[in-house]
Amino acid sequence: MKYTKLSAAAALLASSALVLSACAPGGPAENEESGTAAPEGGNGEVMTGEAGNKLTVEPTDTGKADLGEIETQEGSISYSVGEDEFISYNSMTPETYSTYNSAITERMISTFAYFGTDGEIYQNEEYGTYEKISDDPLQVKYTINEEAVWSDGTPVTAADYILKWGVENPRITSGEGEEATPLFNSIAHEFGLRVPDAPEGDVDGKEFTITFEEPYADWPILLDTAQPAHVVAEQSGMGMEAMIEAVKNEDAEALAPAAEFWNTGWNTSPGELPSEEIAPSNGPYKFKSWEPGQSITLEANDQWWGTPPATQELVIRFAAADTHVQALQNGDLNVIEPQATVDTLEQLEGLGDQIVIQQDASLTWEHLDFNFMEESIFSDSPELREAFALCVPRQNIVDNLIKPLDPEAVVMNAREVFPFQESYQEVVDAAYDGQYDEVDMERATQLVEESGKTNLDVRIGYSAPNPRRAETVAMIKSSCDEAGFNVIDAGHADFFGVVQPQGDWEVALFAWAGSGQIASGRNIYHTAGIGNQNYSEYSNETVDAAWDTLASSVDPEVHAEQVKIIERELWESLHGIPLYAHPGIVAHSADIANVRNTATQSGAVWNAEQWARVE
Amino acid sequence: MLKFILRRFGSSFLVLLGASLLLYVLTINSGDPLKDLRESNADNREYLIEQRIDFMGLDQPWYARYWDWLTGVGKCVIGQCDLGTNRSGQQVIDLLGLAAASTLRLVVLATVIAMVFGVLIGILTAIRQYSGIDYVVTFLTFMFFSLPVFWAAVLLKEYLAIGFNDWLASPDPGFSWPTIIVVGLVLGLALQAVLAGNARRRLFTFLGAFVFTCAALPYMDWLNFARYPQLGPVVITLVGVAAAVGATVLGAGLKNRRVLYAGLITAVLGLVAYYATYGLLWDPNWLIILILAVVAIGVAIAIGRLMGGYSKGAATLVSVFTAVVMGGLIIVEHLFRSWPSYLEIVGRPIATIGSETPNFTGTFWEDFLDKGTQLLLPTILLALISLASYSRYTRASMLEVSQQDYIRTARAKGLNERQVILKHAFRNSLIPITTIMAFDFAGLIGGAVITEQVFGWKGMGELFRTGLEQVDPAPVMAFFLVTGTAAVLFNLLADILYAVLDPRIRV
Repeated sequence: MKYTKLSAAAALLASSALVLSACAPGGPAENEESGTAAPEGGNGEVMTGEAGNKLTVEPTDTGKADLGEIETQEGSISYSVGEDEFISYNSMTPETYSTYNSAITERMISTFAYFGTDGEIYQNEEYGTYEKISDDPLQVKYTINEEAVWSDGTPVTAADYILKWGVENPRITSGEGEEATPLFNSIAHEFGLRVPDAPEGDVDGKEFTITFEEPYADWPILLDTAQPAHVVAEQSGMGMEAMIEAVKNEDAEALAPAAEFWNTGWNTSPGELPSEEIAPSNGPYKFKSWEPGQSITLEANDQWWGTPPATQELVIRFAAADTHVQALQNGDLNVIEPQATVDTLEQLEGLGDQIVIQQDASLTWEHLDFNFMEESIFSDSPELREAFALCVPRQNIVDNLIKPLDPEAVVMNAREVFPFQESYQEVVDAAYDGQYDEVDMERATQLVEESGKTNLDVRIGYSAPNPRRAETVAMIKSSCDEAGFNVIDAGHADFFGVVQPQGDWEVALFAWAGSGQIASGRNIYHTAGIGNQNYSEYSNETVDAAWDTLASSVDPEVHAEQVKIIERELWESLHGIPLYAHPGIVAHSADIANVRNTATQSGAVWNAEQWARVE
Repeated sequence: MLKFILRRFGSSFLVLLGASLLLYVLTINSGDPLKDLRESNADNREYLIEQRIDFMGLDQPWYARYWDWLTGVGKCVIGQCDLGTNRSGQQVIDLLGLAAASTLRLVVLATVIAMVFGVLIGILTAIRQYSGIDYVVTFLTFMFFSLPVFWAAVLLKEYLAIGFNDWLASPDPGFSWPTIIVVGLVLGLALQAVLAGNARRRLFTFLGAFVFTCAALPYMDWLNFARYPQLGPVVITLVGVAAAVGATVLGAGLKNRRVLYAGLITAVLGLVAYYATYGLLWDPNWLIILILAVVAIGVAIAIGRLMGGYSKGAATLVSVFTAVVMGGLIIVEHLFRSWPSYLEIVGRPIATIGSETPNFTGTFWEDFLDKGTQLLLPTILLALISLASYSRYTRASMLEVSQQDYIRTARAKGLNERQVILKHAFRNSLIPITTIMAFDFAGLIGGAVITEQVFGWKGMGELFRTGLEQVDPAPVMAFFLVTGTAAVLFNLLADILYAVLDPRIRV
């Protein structure tokens, strides 16, 4: 017994640590406690939507439902976009602009228009209204709600939009000639470019009118987030009158202090919430607290004049996407938008009744683009393009890769409209005859032979790693190799940086994220877009003309007409092959009502002020 | 010695400088900083790309960008550090401060636990070489060592967070009989393996542990321990006395009554302190805790000195150890007391992400619990993974030292086994382990990249990873600055510690 003492000591320590002694069991004998009891009652009746999600009010269209007379419930709801930290109250500079940042600032700064769940544009009537008062020149009159105030008590006025025009005006520059750069570091310059003069209206008033130089197709969504002008005037020391005067005169020198504040004054380090004095809210929510690296909490804005937010607090947590499912299960997050993969979906389905899964399509769409640069085998050979289009197993790809995630997924036969939009069928009927619905191996083989080409290597390039795209390429290979092509998986980690500009590809497989704008596709298909977004250097006179007509018209009928022409010509000249709209998943605790998945990039948080806990 | 240290500093500085240049060039060439914009279909994509090129200085040659960074860092000498901004225009120095604080909070505890338990396991497996427990522990530590972090994290969340919370929220959280029997069997087997001895002794140990578990767990159920945990003065006293006796056995041997009495007196005073400070510790702050800790240790030292006689040193050690255990028990008792009210606030105590419950407000103890419960999972994970290296190194080192002549001599001159192991073998075996510990401490500031990510902490690892992903040199270099400097400093520290542990090295 060499270690008797050691053993004895250890035994004593171990056993005595486990000895328990107490006089009586703790607490009430029958305790029925639950920490996060759902608030009682809610706001009236609760309905169940298509996906099993609860709704307090049935939406009548794809816009926000009218919740009617409701009161803000105590409690909080957690949501996460991803792990990226909040950066700045001003999300309109190139450095701070991101979906992560906007998810927070868009709850605090209202806009005249917003996108419904299918990308349709709606007026945010609680904030203000706008109407076109003249077609030529195009004039739009904006009216801000009489009651609209910033949370520091200052009314929202035309001044905010006059400053916005100055901020987005590329003619206000620092430096001269070649060196000149816009004074305000704004992400967008459309407002200043399209509208030559500052908005007309009383600085303290609620109305203003803007006059466009030329008709502009996307006029309804031109005016987005406008920062509080009174804060800029005060913080820069310029004073409101001087600042507005300088903006109207495009006086860069005088505006320098305002620009300095606008560019950097709202940037904060993590954890340092900007005070209400410089970062007021005119939306349903305002800042409450910020735990650096953890979360930001927004609370109901007590100065908000519209329908009150349904829940007092909205917590936006910064957590990596792969932690979301378990966090939802454990109640650390209440609403999540996980990556739409089969694995994630299985995990979510395993959680049973405690959560609701909404599976829909999004405004991002996958497509194959032919390379029209000189060295590509497809550039001068419509037969080969047709042969390739005939051998791509589109239906198979959708059935195997997308259907499991979005049961209603279909092969997409258009580029500018999506299958879940109303006008889709009409556009497809007018533009596409269904010739590529089915794989036609015989015809494809014949066309390949007729083309007389001997080098039939088809490098399909995409941004790797991407399992879904790798599988898509594998499916195309197994089909098109039969027709005589030699499909090569040319996935590259830096596809857009290196491979794509060099033209070392025959077909590119990637996705465009629809912005909701009507004329944004012009950059992709117009000859003028070469060097910008027209990666494949496609050029077609009919398409160019149609885009020009579309972009310079404000008539929805003209838009619809031109889209049909564009789609028809893109099919006929085979610019590329559309495949499918990306699936999007939203999952949330079953007791949260009014969560509605949206196809747009604003994310599930788009109607966060309507989320409420119900029984 | 001073000359040696200065020379080491000088060469380390040059190494850091060279490494920083290398890392900077590697970072800015590691990918395409405009990648996210290239796939964008914003109509002003060209403008955005231009803005970013301008903001990040992408059009400048590498040496100009490096020089910009270096001059910013150089200003640290005059106290105006400028580590630049990241891609979003945030000051990197602020990000660094937050990241370092968060990382230290996450990894220090785990590393200390891993070191203490690793060394203990190492000693145990060394003195029981080639026994059953040696094989089992070796198997387990290697298994933990090779766990993929993200996968283990998912399992921990599933069982310890979600499972535990569900269990706690169930109407009657308790142990089922199968659970109790399995726990009893495992505990019994483990304990008899640790304590060893002949078959009879092993059987008794096993039965004792098994019966104890079968009685204790239902008793805890009856106490409603999961929701209303409590220790009570009796348990505190028992554990305190056990600590005093145990420490005496290890430190001086039970025959040394003076040391034993010093420990026992401290334990009794601890019980007195439990009642005396009850009101003070109802809702304290860190200052009060710190003062009480200093007082407790001061009193313990005094008792050791007064009671110890010839064995002052040993008596002081035993007395201080007992005081620390008593202090810990008192804190645990207060945490237990706050547990029910904490549960009322959060409902599900163990979260899967984050370092605290958002907007949590509560008493000092509730706050303590909130931060503690969030630390639990990552700490377990990190400690389990790093257990292997410490235990294996200690074991190897102990075995090597045990074969030295001076160990045989020590036994031959009649020293008892406790003295041979603790005074002669263990102390000498610590020398190589010191190197590993120093390196580990330097490494831990670098963060546990994956652990941070899966548990939603924003630490140094995240700073580095995001910087590298966005091909944004400033955060990566800030990370390098801290970890590189730490590596150099801790190496130096290891050299100095050698001298303390091994007089022969002293110059």
